[in-house]
Amino acid sequence: MDDYDIKEPLEDRLQKIRLEEEHIKEQRRILQLQENSIKEERQELVSEQEMLDQVMEEFKKKELLLKDREKELSLRQGLLDKRSKQAQSFKDREDFRLIFEKSRDLHQAHYIDRPEVPSKDPNDFFAKNLLRSSLPIPTLGELQVVRHFSLLSERNFSVDSNFYPLGSCTMKYNPKINDELSDLSGFIDIHPLQCQQDVQGALQVIFNLEQLLCRITGLKRFSMQPSSGAQGELCGMLMIKKFHQISGKKKNTVIIPDSAHGTNPATAAMCGFKIQIVKSNSKGLVDLDYLNSLVSEDTAAMMLTNPNTLGLFEENITEIAEIIHKKGGFLYYDGANLNPLMGFTNPGLMGFDVAHFNLHKTFSTPHGCGGPGAGVIGVGEKLIDFLPVPLVGKKENIFYFDYSPCNSIGRLRSFYGNFSILVRAYAYILRLGERGLARAASNSVLNANYIKEKLKKTFDLPYDKTCMHEVVFSCSRQRERGASALDIAKRLIDYGIHPPTMYFPLIVKEALMIEPTETESKQTLDYFIKSLEKIDREIDQDLQNIKDSPHTSWVKRVDEVKAARFPDLRCKIIGD
Amino acid sequence: MKGLLFSNSHEWVKIDHDIATVGISDYAQSQLGDVVFIELPQEGSSFDKNSQFATIESTKTASEVYMPLSGEVIKVNSELTNNPQWINNDPYDKGWIVKLKIKNISETESLMKDDAYKDFVEKEAH
Amino acid sequence: MPYILNTEKDVKEMLGCLGISSVEDLFSHIPSSLKLKEPLGIGPGLSELGLKRELKVLAEKNKTIDKFNSFLGAGCYDHYIPAGLKYLLSNSKFVTAYTPYQAECSQGILQAIYEYQSYICLLTGMEVSNASLLDGASAFAEAVLMSMRISKKSRVLVSASINPQYRKTLETYLSGLDCSVELIPFDKDGLIDLAFLSRSVDDGACCFALQSPNYFGLVEDAAESTRIIKKSSALSVMITNPLSLAIFKEPGLLGMDIVCGDGQPLGGGLRFGGPSFGFLASREAYLRQLPGRIVGRTVDKDNNPAFCLTLATREQHIKREKATSNICSNQSLNVIAATIYLAFMGEAGLKDAAGYSFSNAQYLYKRIKEVRGVNMPYGQGFFNEFIWEVKDPEAVLNKLYQKNIIAGHYIGNEFEEHKNCILSCCTEKKTKKDIDDLVNTLAEVLHG
Repeated sequence: MDDYDIKEPLEDRLQKIRLEEEHIKEQRRILQLQENSIKEERQELVSEQEMLDQVMEEFKKKELLLKDREKELSLRQGLLDKRSKQAQSFKDREDFRLIFEKSRDLHQAHYIDRPEVPSKDPNDFFAKNLLRSSLPIPTLGELQVVRHFSLLSERNFSVDSNFYPLGSCTMKYNPKINDELSDLSGFIDIHPLQCQQDVQGALQVIFNLEQLLCRITGLKRFSMQPSSGAQGELCGMLMIKKFHQISGKKKNTVIIPDSAHGTNPATAAMCGFKIQIVKSNSKGLVDLDYLNSLVSEDTAAMMLTNPNTLGLFEENITEIAEIIHKKGGFLYYDGANLNPLMGFTNPGLMGFDVAHFNLHKTFSTPHGCGGPGAGVIGVGEKLIDFLPVPLVGKKENIFYFDYSPCNSIGRLRSFYGNFSILVRAYAYILRLGERGLARAASNSVLNANYIKEKLKKTFDLPYDKTCMHEVVFSCSRQRERGASALDIAKRLIDYGIHPPTMYFPLIVKEALMIEPTETESKQTLDYFIKSLEKIDREIDQDLQNIKDSPHTSWVKRVDEVKAARFPDLRCKIIGD
Repeated sequence: MKGLLFSNSHEWVKIDHDIATVGISDYAQSQLGDVVFIELPQEGSSFDKNSQFATIESTKTASEVYMPLSGEVIKVNSELTNNPQWINNDPYDKGWIVKLKIKNISETESLMKDDAYKDFVEKEAH
Repeated sequence: MPYILNTEKDVKEMLGCLGISSVEDLFSHIPSSLKLKEPLGIGPGLSELGLKRELKVLAEKNKTIDKFNSFLGAGCYDHYIPAGLKYLLSNSKFVTAYTPYQAECSQGILQAIYEYQSYICLLTGMEVSNASLLDGASAFAEAVLMSMRISKKSRVLVSASINPQYRKTLETYLSGLDCSVELIPFDKDGLIDLAFLSRSVDDGACCFALQSPNYFGLVEDAAESTRIIKKSSALSVMITNPLSLAIFKEPGLLGMDIVCGDGQPLGGGLRFGGPSFGFLASREAYLRQLPGRIVGRTVDKDNNPAFCLTLATREQHIKREKATSNICSNQSLNVIAATIYLAFMGEAGLKDAAGYSFSNAQYLYKRIKEVRGVNMPYGQGFFNEFIWEVKDPEAVLNKLYQKNIIAGHYIGNEFEEHKNCILSCCTEKKTKKDIDDLVNTLAEVLHG
């Protein structure tokens, strides 16, 4: 108060005080405001802190996870090192030896009894020059044999142990129940020449399978005789040849896309046809203008797979069928790629007249290191009379061998086909049913497209559009940086992944053809995608490591040049 | 490769009077990769210009070799059967494939000299 | 849904990554005119248990061969298979692998096939073998095609006494090509008419193909037939039973150029006739014309022994229309089975299986010959099967069948000249009692 002049009039002083008070109030208000904003800021800070804490926590979690994975990786690395060392010591020991080098001077194996009938000596029945003087095959103990083949089995990748995205081969999971059922005594202990009444169950399997395949493919009749895709093709093309021969038309050329499987031209050549190659257009599909320029009265047939080998659906298939049919030619369907279409469309609807189907692909029968499979052949109305015989028919609930096709091309093998494979395919279709097959198809397409989308940043995708069950990348960018498709494939082995199909189709340079199939999970696909991305990065970090790969397999990279230059095709220890 | 003539399917020819020695160029062998096998023609057989007379195989491909000139094969390099790698290591000397009795010397006019071939290869490589 | 691992969440994430909302969108580029409008009509799917029930019913509708006293052979033979074979072969790292394209992760398969090729060469006395073909009949067709490529001729001479199914298969395989098939008849002894052969063969023929033991079980004088063939540029092709080679001369030493047959007798089992495998072996000079996969031994980067598929340039995926054949796959699993069978049996076991079959068949021949009303068209120069003649054979077979005996395979529909003949086979699984039962019942059937 000292500041105030006492002489000042009260009024003035009051006025001043009021002003002062106002000022203070104002100041307080400002302070309050500031305090509020500080509070707010503090709150923000707190929440930011909270967020940071959260992030930190997640970060820590991730760090832990990463550490775990690192640990796991180094553990695996260690294991691999150990295995590789073990492998090395194995190699130093005996297990690289061939079965011919393991022979023991053992007595007879006694798997079978000496018959009670008088023993006969072939020398009393045949001239000496027709009898062999020695049989130098090795004698081993049972444990030796068991161990030998058990060890051999361990040196393979297989669907049961590894992701196997081998394009065009449909390496899906093979349900074990199908193996069990096809191995039932009632299916394996029957002789093909037993009378029909004793093999009704077997004939019924064939008959029922035919019915199911007709529904799935839209075709009219099937022969189960062809035992591989290639034999199915041969069967179909011979039927076409005979049809034209009988109708007296000189049709001698077969049109095949440049992206086709090599079996197509090889088959057509075995049937004595001339081959015309139709080019693919910029979309990776059959070039219709080019096709129109090729077709003529000479056109016997066109062979096509749909989706094609690029994994792309031939959208103009109806037009293609019209072009071929107009000239009196047949449209042949290479059914290797049926898997993504089941329940969505079928070759009958697309206008195909004849088709083979690889039961070991689409219908999940195990591939057995390369076979047995089945390449059954199906036809529309026009070619039924040309099917190989016998077919299986049904009359008053009795199944019988049907020799009715009057223009049958004959037979392609002994007996009726790879029956055990037919049982498996039949079981597979029954188990999955309507929805299961469609679900298999759509998942195979989803899995392939997911891989396509994720990897197209890293690898060149020559045809960037929705694919079906498989996707084809080009490693040309990687090649420029020093790693070929082959190098990348070999490096994948170190990741426990069977390499995709390489260098096919021929129209894509440095091709990697990936078919994941429907039975693989997103996690497996993610692991595969990450592995390929890692390999791509490794090209710039340690190219030599890729060139030297694989590192973890039973043997290192195999010298295929030496194998071809100096063919060693049999063991010459014994007998020579 | 001085003095050699080349076809646009990458065969080389060395002319000595009416005899031509034929092989494949260094560029061709580098594109093929490691040669593992060669299928040779019979001595005494005749070929037209541009017809196939041999097949060279690497582990992953099989390539046809075409006659740069018409004529009769008077000698084949049968040592290549056991030494296919000569095509890779020494394409212009030990790697020769056949000797030919030339039928029509004027056909050499359509072949390239080494400089022209060098340009041709450069263009094809890009 | 069986066998699908993707969860709904996975599918959602994957669709999100593709920028679409439903799986159906992945099929939107398929023209709607091609889309199926109606369900397939194949049923809703079955549980594993339900499936097992269904298939068991069908399996049990078949009467297995062990329910009979059976003498069926004719290309499919009921030999004993050591128990260990099924066990080893069910290994899923054999069952679920594919063609060993990638050598480094397929060494086991490759070594097994290399060992198989070695066994086939040892048995046949040939220099090279492929990794197998689909079955014996198609291997035979491929053998003839191979001889056409080698000789560049197209006149095929075939013995009339080969398995008729093989002959039909050959005719089908050749039906698209410009060539001819001529049959060389058999003589009164059921063997190739060598004089006829001598007159028929000339430099226009690509090959002469015979089967030994032939369809009637008889062992041909292949040494003499190759001597005749060698006078021309034609090749000698032989179909054989690999088990018979435990007794008979290696075809390679008889002068054969190409040898083929069905591997079923080597541990294959009956399986209603398939799958089995076809083997194909030849002289080394013809290696480049041999169709099918071939495995070779080489080394890896560290110079350790290693195996790989080799000589692939013969094949369709490289040579396309100029390939040796359209064939791609082999019957690996069946080949591994045969290799395991041969390893288990060894020299002595194999000789026994062949020798016991031979002794049993000879005993059956001797006994059945004594039955009144039975006539033996040919002599005793057979391996494990032979034909016998009886009036009204189908009725006889049927009567025996009523007594649970399958006496053999009636061949009257296959051979005009053997209208009343039955082909009967013995393996080592037949006992003396089995054989005596057949013979005694046959006597009863014929004479009451």
